[in-house]
Amino acid sequence: MSDRAFPHSTEPGLTPPDIRPEDLDRGGEIGDEAGGEGGADATSISRAALAAEPGGPLLARRQWPLPKQADPNAPLLEVTNLRTHFTLESGVVKAVDGVSFRLDHGEALGIAGESGCGKTTTALSLVQILPANATIVEGSIRLMGIDLVPKTENQMRRYRWREISIVFQGAMNALNPVRRVVDQIAEPIEVRLGQSQKASHKRAGDLLELVGIPRKRGRAYPHELSGGMRQRAMIAMALACDPAIVIGDEPTTALDVMVQAQILELLEELRRKLGLSLVLITHDLSVIAETCDRVLIMYAGRVAEEGPVEEVFRRPRHPYTQKLLAAFPNIATDRRTLEVIPGSPPDLRNPPPGCRFAPRCFAAMAVCSEVVPTETSFAGVRVACHLYHVGDDGRPVTTAPANAVGPTAVGVG
Amino acid sequence: MTAPATGLSTPTPGSATRRSWIQGQRAFWRQFARHRDGVLGIAVLLFFTVMAIAPQLFVGPLETVTTASGGTLEPPSATHIFGTDELGRDILNLTIHGARVSMVIGLLATIITIFLGALIGITSGFFGGRIDAFLMRITDFFLVLPTFVLALVLAPIILDIVGESSQVAGIRMTLVVIIIVIGITSWASTARIIRSQALSVKERMFVDRARVIGSGGGHIMRRHILPNVLNLIVANTVLVFAGAILTETLLAFVGLGDPFAPSWGQILSSAEEQGAPTLGAWWYIVPPATCIVLVVLSFTLVGGALDAVLNPRLRTRR
Amino acid sequence: MGSRYLLNKIIQAIGTVFLIIVLNFVLFRMMPGSPDRVLLRNPNVTADIREAARERWGLDQPMPVQLVRYIGATLQGDLGYSFKYQGLPVTEVLAGRLWPTLILFGLGELIAIVFGLALGAYSGWKRGGTVDYIGNGTSLIIYSMPYFVIGMFMLGIFATGLGWFPTNGMFEVGRQYETAWQQVGDFAWHLFLPVLTVAIGLIGQYSILMRSSVIDTLGEDYVTTARAKGLTDGDVLRAHALPNALLPAVTLIAINLGFVIGGAITVEVVFNWPGLGTLTVDAVAARDYPVLQGIFLLLSISVVAANFVADIVYGRLDPRVRA
Repeated sequence: MSDRAFPHSTEPGLTPPDIRPEDLDRGGEIGDEAGGEGGADATSISRAALAAEPGGPLLARRQWPLPKQADPNAPLLEVTNLRTHFTLESGVVKAVDGVSFRLDHGEALGIAGESGCGKTTTALSLVQILPANATIVEGSIRLMGIDLVPKTENQMRRYRWREISIVFQGAMNALNPVRRVVDQIAEPIEVRLGQSQKASHKRAGDLLELVGIPRKRGRAYPHELSGGMRQRAMIAMALACDPAIVIGDEPTTALDVMVQAQILELLEELRRKLGLSLVLITHDLSVIAETCDRVLIMYAGRVAEEGPVEEVFRRPRHPYTQKLLAAFPNIATDRRTLEVIPGSPPDLRNPPPGCRFAPRCFAAMAVCSEVVPTETSFAGVRVACHLYHVGDDGRPVTTAPANAVGPTAVGVG
Repeated sequence: MTAPATGLSTPTPGSATRRSWIQGQRAFWRQFARHRDGVLGIAVLLFFTVMAIAPQLFVGPLETVTTASGGTLEPPSATHIFGTDELGRDILNLTIHGARVSMVIGLLATIITIFLGALIGITSGFFGGRIDAFLMRITDFFLVLPTFVLALVLAPIILDIVGESSQVAGIRMTLVVIIIVIGITSWASTARIIRSQALSVKERMFVDRARVIGSGGGHIMRRHILPNVLNLIVANTVLVFAGAILTETLLAFVGLGDPFAPSWGQILSSAEEQGAPTLGAWWYIVPPATCIVLVVLSFTLVGGALDAVLNPRLRTRR
Repeated sequence: MGSRYLLNKIIQAIGTVFLIIVLNFVLFRMMPGSPDRVLLRNPNVTADIREAARERWGLDQPMPVQLVRYIGATLQGDLGYSFKYQGLPVTEVLAGRLWPTLILFGLGELIAIVFGLALGAYSGWKRGGTVDYIGNGTSLIIYSMPYFVIGMFMLGIFATGLGWFPTNGMFEVGRQYETAWQQVGDFAWHLFLPVLTVAIGLIGQYSILMRSSVIDTLGEDYVTTARAKGLTDGDVLRAHALPNALLPAVTLIAINLGFVIGGAITVEVVFNWPGLGTLTVDAVAARDYPVLQGIFLLLSISVVAANFVADIVYGRLDPRVRA
């Protein structure tokens, strides 16, 4: 056993708990026979096989066994053509309608877009804690190669919190008001990892200190903590089972700017220390600019643009992205009136045919309201817009729009 | 939160108000119609209202000791669908006439309750400070008090002072006392509810604006707070009505009713006195009991539907 | 638990009790013309009782003095003498009837709380299921029935109709018991229907409230978090949903006590149960004011005490109020 509590940690000195493989909750694994007889085997397989693989060093330092079916060579998370629909009395809301993206080990992906564009639904779909009237109707979500979509509720439990955890917005409501904070952090350690009460509480205390909360404050109830501390506590709770991925759903939106900065700094620090992979959902592009490696812009349930943060923010290609960036005031430039995107997002019970942004797009062409744009990738960026398509020679081509607006309306493939 | 459902908002001049008011009403009824249980409740209540307004249409005048039409405690037969009581009176006759007594008592008691509750609630919420604290102390006191026992104790006192046989506006004193007693013991929870709504309305900016213009307190209360609290009052009134009928029934059962103008509770009280349950005279019990249950149930359903329509709980699902 | 919270509640309770005593006084003394007129009208009152009452109450003294005398007497446990049971101190009259009511009411509430909350929680959890549908419908109907109506039905069907239970009283009249167990058994047999009546009346209310409380709680964000943590449905319900859903239930139970007493009184009448309820009805008929005063005092103070207990329990359950 390594002397590190956290598998990806570079910090010495944190004492590891004693883990016995048979203590770990098997929820779901019992049905997941895919070779492998026990925890010990799984660990040794992963260690041996991963030595020189991409993502290998991170996986190799994992202390908790990988899920039995995990493929060490697969990307950490690969979502393909995800469709999640809500059934209402008034119709079917196609909240997420064909979203694909990929997350690699140690990466931070930001998902941005207006309210109602499907960001949160996407996040909830990953761990399948959707309300009763929502279903994933199509697509696959591969976590280390394991498709989570066909998993039953029982099977999904194996992956919740232990592989993917979530930090919700407005932690006042996300924490149980009648239980002490440290109890809530220790709960998954005790129940999901099979630790004793004492050990799990000690570990919860370690986690609190890791996020900058004095251990003693853990005895407090949520309403006794400030907003910033509650959010830190939520982060500590999210880390309780050493997940591979942490999803942050608007984790800083309810906080004031100073506290926001602190939380973002904390997330950055934890990423470094623990080698976390992060999915950050927010409508605040500045947060993404500061924290993320790649960004995914969503609009009306679909992907508009996706790519490295630098590239997308410097040279936005999709008209929506351009408008989104233009809507953010720049402290360095002259004062001007804020740009507003006219119109409002479509009703997702009856989305417009073709490109969903077409009705509000300044560069809309005739084809946009008829044909759904396919994704084109170039320069590491994916765009779903008719302005950018694959030419006859197989290389991406850009059409100059009739009324180009914004910093760069023309990109070169 | 303006009140789009009842079409009430801060009054604006002109026909625009009338038009939007009518539109508001239509929208409201359309929404209400979606709640089947509420519609059923209203239908039942209408039926009983008709029964209360014109009982003679159904069964003729109220039978008394002298005009009793049958033998003593006869079981149901062709001539008397629900049998007779100990004086030979037809029970169906008694029950239908009882509708008027029960409903009228309920209505008047509710008016008193709502008036008191709204007055105290709005005043308390609007003025705040010492007045609020004082009024709420009193309200809390009344909330803790077992009001039924209070009513039980108050009624005979007042009756003894005033005299049982006198009349007020054509209603016998006994009943008037019950009405008053129910009214002054039930206002507390209404006051609380309305006060918290008045508080939240007060927070809103337009009240400050009216103040800046210089409107007086009474004016603000009437034209601004009242319309927006009205939604709540309406939903509450329905439930208070149900409670008033229940309380009246209880009081009558315990002996405070009027044998000459029998309400449903009074009929049941006589039934109990005669030992109807022990004798197996179910026909004496079932009709008035069923009416009570139907009316209270209908009020509850309507109240629930009204609440759902007028005060929707906005829950944003991510 | 914060001692400030506790102290606050104690002070409030004492204050309320004091107000109740004053109200009691006001009711019977300050009514225009009473108590003299009142005494005159009462058929049970003989000349000596009238004189004794006048003297005891110090009717020739100014009102504030009377009030102080009254408060003093009450605090010392002197509640006066009954008109109807001539010469008997009110405290004795009440004492004899107190425990039957306590048992009836207490047992009924207990059963209703356990079953009502459980039923409501289950209905809220399995929303839309058959249990929910049937349970909700029946609860609504029962909620609309006055307690004594339920009692009458119970009596008519199970006692008169089927003959399974007695129709009357607490013990069989004139029966000699050979063992103490026999007496307990007879008591329980007589107790069954009345307690069932009170319990049924309450279960409807509690289950309706608990159901909507659970539904509300299940929509809260911390329940979503609990599910995201991979906890089983049972754990989520037990550790997160229920502790929060119970809070409004405790409040309701406390608020309800005043109303339930009204119902319990009428149930006693139906079953001729020799408790405070039947005593009250008899006292109203006989206009036995001292006894009525005593009952009012006793019941009101009980409700205040019960509310106090409920406040403490609520404070234990919800840390947010203890601040």
